[in-house]
Amino acid sequence: SRKGPSGAGQQRAGVSQCVPRQELLKWNGWGYNDSKFIFNKKGQAEFTGKRYRLGGMVLPTFKEWIEKTFGASLEHKTTSRASLNVNDVPPSIVNEEFLQDLRATKISYSQDAEDRVFRAHGHCLHEIFVLREGMFKRIPDIVVWPVCHEDVVKIVELACKHNLCIIPFGGGTSVSSALECPEEEKRTIVSLDTSQMNRILWIDEKNLTACVEAGIVGQDLEKQLAESGFCTGHEPDSMEFSSLGGWVATRASGMKKNIYGNIEDLVIHIKMVTPRGIVEKNCQVPRMSTGPDIHHFIMGSEGTLGVVTEVTIKIRPVPEYQKYGSVVFPNFERGVACLREVAKQRCAPASIRLVDNAQFQFGHALKPQVASIFTSFLDGLKKFYITKFKGFDPNILCVATLLFEGDREKVLQHEKQVYDIATKFGGLAAGEDNGQRGYMLTFVIAYLRDLGLDYYVIGESFETSVPWDRVLDLCRNVKERIVRECKEKGVQFAPLSTCRVTQTYDAGACVYFYFAFNYRGISDPIHVYEQIERAAREEILANGGSLSHHHGVGKLRKRWMKESISDVGLGMLRSVKEYVDPNNIFGNKNLL
Amino acid sequence: MKCYTPVIYKGLSPCKPNAIKSAVLQSEQVQYVIKQLAKEMGESPDIIQEEATEILDEMGHRMQLGAVRFFAFTLSKIFKQLFQRVCVNEEGMQRLQHAIQEHPVVLLPSHRSYVDFLMLSYLLYTYDLALPVIAAGIDFLGMKIVGELLRRAGAFFMRRSFGGNRLYWAVFAEYVKTMLRSGYAPIEFFLEGTRSRTAKTLTPKFGLLSIVMEPFFKREVFDTYLVPISISYERILEESLYAYELLGVPKPKESTSGLLKARRILSDNFGTIHIYVGQPVSLRTLASGRINRCPYNLVPRHLPQKPSEDIQEFVSDVAYKMELLQIENMVLSPWVLVAAVLLQNLPAMEFELLIEKTLWLKGLTQTFGGFIEWPDNLCAKKAVLSGLTLHSNIASLVDGHVVLNDKGMEDGAVGEMVFRHALAVLMCATYRNQLLNVFVRPALVAIALQMAPSFRKEEVYSCFNFLRDVFSDEFIFFPGISLKDFEEGCFLLTKCDAIQTSQQEIYPTDKGSGTVSFLSAMFRPFVEGYQLIFRYLSKEMKEAFTEKQFIPGVRNFVFQLLEKGSTQCYEALSSDMQKNALSALVQLGAVKKKKMPSGFTYNVNQEAVSKILDMFDDSADAIPEHNEFLFPEYEILIEPEEPEFPADSTDDEQGAEDTSKGAKEQEELGAAGTADEAFQSLDEETLEAMAKHETEEEKIFQMFKKQVAAEPEQIIRYCRGGEGPLWVSGENRPEEKDIPNCVCGAKRIFEFQIMPQLLNHLQVDSLGESIDWGTLVVYTCADSCGGGSEYLEEFIWKQDYSMGCTL
Repeated sequence: SRKGPSGAGQQRAGVSQCVPRQELLKWNGWGYNDSKFIFNKKGQAEFTGKRYRLGGMVLPTFKEWIEKTFGASLEHKTTSRASLNVNDVPPSIVNEEFLQDLRATKISYSQDAEDRVFRAHGHCLHEIFVLREGMFKRIPDIVVWPVCHEDVVKIVELACKHNLCIIPFGGGTSVSSALECPEEEKRTIVSLDTSQMNRILWIDEKNLTACVEAGIVGQDLEKQLAESGFCTGHEPDSMEFSSLGGWVATRASGMKKNIYGNIEDLVIHIKMVTPRGIVEKNCQVPRMSTGPDIHHFIMGSEGTLGVVTEVTIKIRPVPEYQKYGSVVFPNFERGVACLREVAKQRCAPASIRLVDNAQFQFGHALKPQVASIFTSFLDGLKKFYITKFKGFDPNILCVATLLFEGDREKVLQHEKQVYDIATKFGGLAAGEDNGQRGYMLTFVIAYLRDLGLDYYVIGESFETSVPWDRVLDLCRNVKERIVRECKEKGVQFAPLSTCRVTQTYDAGACVYFYFAFNYRGISDPIHVYEQIERAAREEILANGGSLSHHHGVGKLRKRWMKESISDVGLGMLRSVKEYVDPNNIFGNKNLL
Repeated sequence: MKCYTPVIYKGLSPCKPNAIKSAVLQSEQVQYVIKQLAKEMGESPDIIQEEATEILDEMGHRMQLGAVRFFAFTLSKIFKQLFQRVCVNEEGMQRLQHAIQEHPVVLLPSHRSYVDFLMLSYLLYTYDLALPVIAAGIDFLGMKIVGELLRRAGAFFMRRSFGGNRLYWAVFAEYVKTMLRSGYAPIEFFLEGTRSRTAKTLTPKFGLLSIVMEPFFKREVFDTYLVPISISYERILEESLYAYELLGVPKPKESTSGLLKARRILSDNFGTIHIYVGQPVSLRTLASGRINRCPYNLVPRHLPQKPSEDIQEFVSDVAYKMELLQIENMVLSPWVLVAAVLLQNLPAMEFELLIEKTLWLKGLTQTFGGFIEWPDNLCAKKAVLSGLTLHSNIASLVDGHVVLNDKGMEDGAVGEMVFRHALAVLMCATYRNQLLNVFVRPALVAIALQMAPSFRKEEVYSCFNFLRDVFSDEFIFFPGISLKDFEEGCFLLTKCDAIQTSQQEIYPTDKGSGTVSFLSAMFRPFVEGYQLIFRYLSKEMKEAFTEKQFIPGVRNFVFQLLEKGSTQCYEALSSDMQKNALSALVQLGAVKKKKMPSGFTYNVNQEAVSKILDMFDDSADAIPEHNEFLFPEYEILIEPEEPEFPADSTDDEQGAEDTSKGAKEQEELGAAGTADEAFQSLDEETLEAMAKHETEEEKIFQMFKKQVAAEPEQIIRYCRGGEGPLWVSGENRPEEKDIPNCVCGAKRIFEFQIMPQLLNHLQVDSLGESIDWGTLVVYTCADSCGGGSEYLEEFIWKQDYSMGCTL
């Protein structure tokens, strides 16, 4: 079914695994083709597919929630283009000499329009909007699929020789406009897709490390390690699609970082191909004192310096026991105070998250139809107990979800410790189910935006990190700012503006915001959306929050870099870039 | 009894006054200072904590609904006795109601009387709004029962000065901020710091304002509303008390018995009160784009931090803005106009004339944006009469003339008479003063017009600027926008046809001379008073002195002059004016203010003060130093040009030329290096044309340079009818036919040319951005027609450097 230049077509035949993958995924939205929210014939919401626990379930209260929250109505629908219109796609301009050289390397490549568009974007709202209704001004001219480190070396050499621009592409889950091609780039843009570099090269059980090619996707890495009884424990919300190299390039953070650490704690060794040559260390040791750690130039470099090809990463035996849990707090303030205390005592479970009331209600709206009357009755009883007996106001209370991991005995002990602290802050254990559903929602929530887009609702998430003493003020002010900006910008309906404290540290927390609104009656919703997002970021910075905790800077947040790291700091990064890549071969224009 | 269920802040978690107190004591901010002090003084923190508790008990309010009800009940009785009417802008109350629910609110009323906060609390109670907590002076606590009652009605007390006491400051600031952050109640305080004894708005105090703004700066609250409130009294309860105070008769300490005596006032009539609740101003909106967030992000928020200069400037701007908003919405009664007219026509004024003038002033006031309440569209006569009735203690109608009531005892000593008269004048002035902040900008322009040696705009502006600086404590000016104030003054004067402006000049119209002289007469007491006070300082004060020495000294000085009859400026007796004048000199650098253990002392720089005095007399020498729209001023020296170059300078000149040529060549080389690509694209023809052109141009330009080199700084070459101008270029030279004849028919001949050097002096020499010329040649009528002083149109020819030259 694929069209494309005949020569390239032959080359494509060599690519075995990438084709099914690209084919499995939506071309104009999040995740798998077969998984999405729909309204069935009865007008009830349903989640399709069998990949998730929610798959095939009916969500009886969801429709009402969406109508109430956004003022959206099922009658007002917009639809995306059904498929990519190949004629709209900017032509592929590749110099023949380069193509000859490339063919000589036997590395797979494609100039096919769909392949190029697929790698021209991440998952920012405006990018998805463009896919549904327009076309990017600039996309990669050619996609190459190296299968190993040596292939990457060859490609980078060729790019230097022919003065091309390379944009590395891993899982494509960026939410910082990092994958967008700079419009003014005149050179041929090569999208370097790392997906074929997906092998585990070795596992070292004595040192508990594994050397892995950087293109491997999170869930494959865990699956393959699990076969040998290991895991990395790095689980960002995007782990089904994002790649190891991408984690390194953006300084990713995983849900279970309390046990396993963030990417910077996990990485033992990185091999990266740059226009200057290969950068790596001479040994694989837990720590060394040899000047500033060069890994820290690489982590967070966002594809501006080179391509990460191989990473040695810490591994752990798969935990014996896992247990979810949840706690209800009378209000958000008490919840935050509890999380702070847990962090202070350094007894945070693998994951601990606190969602505000709006998100709690949202979670409730996604509750599937209950199988038996008995569960429903139990539900009602719990609700009665919490709201009437304990005096919690359902419109103020908030919920913390917990995930414990380790050997059984220790988990139970740990659980008790955390619940004891929670009790001191007025918390009330609310069961394993609620906890588990909370974490499941993290994965399906990304699918919701596509549904919203069909009904004039646009939205996005963003995050920050903030010292403990400012968490409450920041959450309140940012949410209020969003509401106020929406009003000022002429948004007709009150927006959904909600947050959760999603990670805890000794000195502060990571806060994650969801923000969505119904844009009926606005002529340029994306522009309005971007203005509001920008105001929200200004508010975060004014409240002592960071530019980003784990999403990265990309091109979306570049304007605040100077303010974030000072002039000199920016100059330090620039001089590294200048030395490593003087001709700006890695010209995605991120970060600096 | 009334059911009182006020609207409250949406984020309020209800709590008792005592809970607030303990929250303050336990707060990180207060604990930090306690620990700090304990360490420094080697005391146990418990003792200091104890001290803090005492401070809080002294300070804190104990708002109780019962007391509020009692107050409301009593006040409604008293107010009904005292005042005819209380007028409130309803929409303002509605706006306030919304604001209170949305964000923490700070009420900023004007302060003319003790009645201010009683009235405001009563009003909020009546409108079912949350009662404010009020920062009141601690002297109220002296009033035994009343102090306690006030406390229960929501007043909290602050010491008048606590600059040095860190514990007090910390406890107080935290107390205010805690109430603000929790949205416990609107916070009310007076920007002016104290009651204005003169009914003029006092310059703002910044301490409390910066405290209530801090929670927003630190983002502890999303926003804070500042609500300017203007309270205008037709007759001020304390009017005679104020006049005595200003004249140095000490203020009676607030005491309950004093208040009881004040009840005698109850039988009197004090007319109408107008309360205008202004639009709530969002602090967030004011701050947007102005506050750098960094300093607050890098230090824990509970540490006491000296506000950055940015912040201090911002706080000051906000304070002035709020006071200007108060002024804008003050209500002026007809009596205010009467007082202003009467004071210019002492000792007596014909009643009919007074009415006529008052009516005229009403028009003028409205033109200037004053907010006049003319009761029920009364005819002018009735309005003036009703004013006279209400203020019969100040002035009365005798035999068709209006006179001040300054007689009292029939034939007292001269001193007694002066005192009596001063009392009457000051009381009357209190009412005129209400006009001043509306009139100050146009009036200072009017005075500047009379002071300036000519009508040239920059000279008038320079005088205006001087006056504005001198009176910066007397009237309210938004900091740093002198030019805007000047333009506003000019605009208002133009609006009432008092002046006309041209490009360069401002001059009074014939029609407007009345307005101009009225305005300057209105402010004359200040001009004269300041001169007297300055004179006293420059003559009498040779050694360091304190304010306590200064006030009686200057009072005696003025008093003697008044007794002798050598001045009529009774207002110079006002301690308010005396203090303002002193503080103006401090700001102008003519008096040094030093902090001593016993308080502040002052040292006069005699020379500087007499310089300022000279400015009043003759401001001709004024050179505008910093001026946004005028060019700097210079003196032009006129010298005849030597026909030949002096021998000794020739070498120099040659040398200069050589080096300059060298520089030029280098420049060209440099240009060629980078621009050779561009040159390649030029075809041969163009190149040839350019080359030719260059040689021809070169000659004329070299001649120009040579001639100028004799006197390189020259800016004008004058030679009427002479051999003609010195051209800078061969291009664009006028032919004879290009110079039009004069309107009278005669030929126009060359008179003088303006040289490009002038551009350097005017500091407009940035290439491509500012105005530019090669030379400006002026041709005038050969017959010198129209001999008078009127202006005539002449002809100017502008020649630029040709493109060839600049290449």
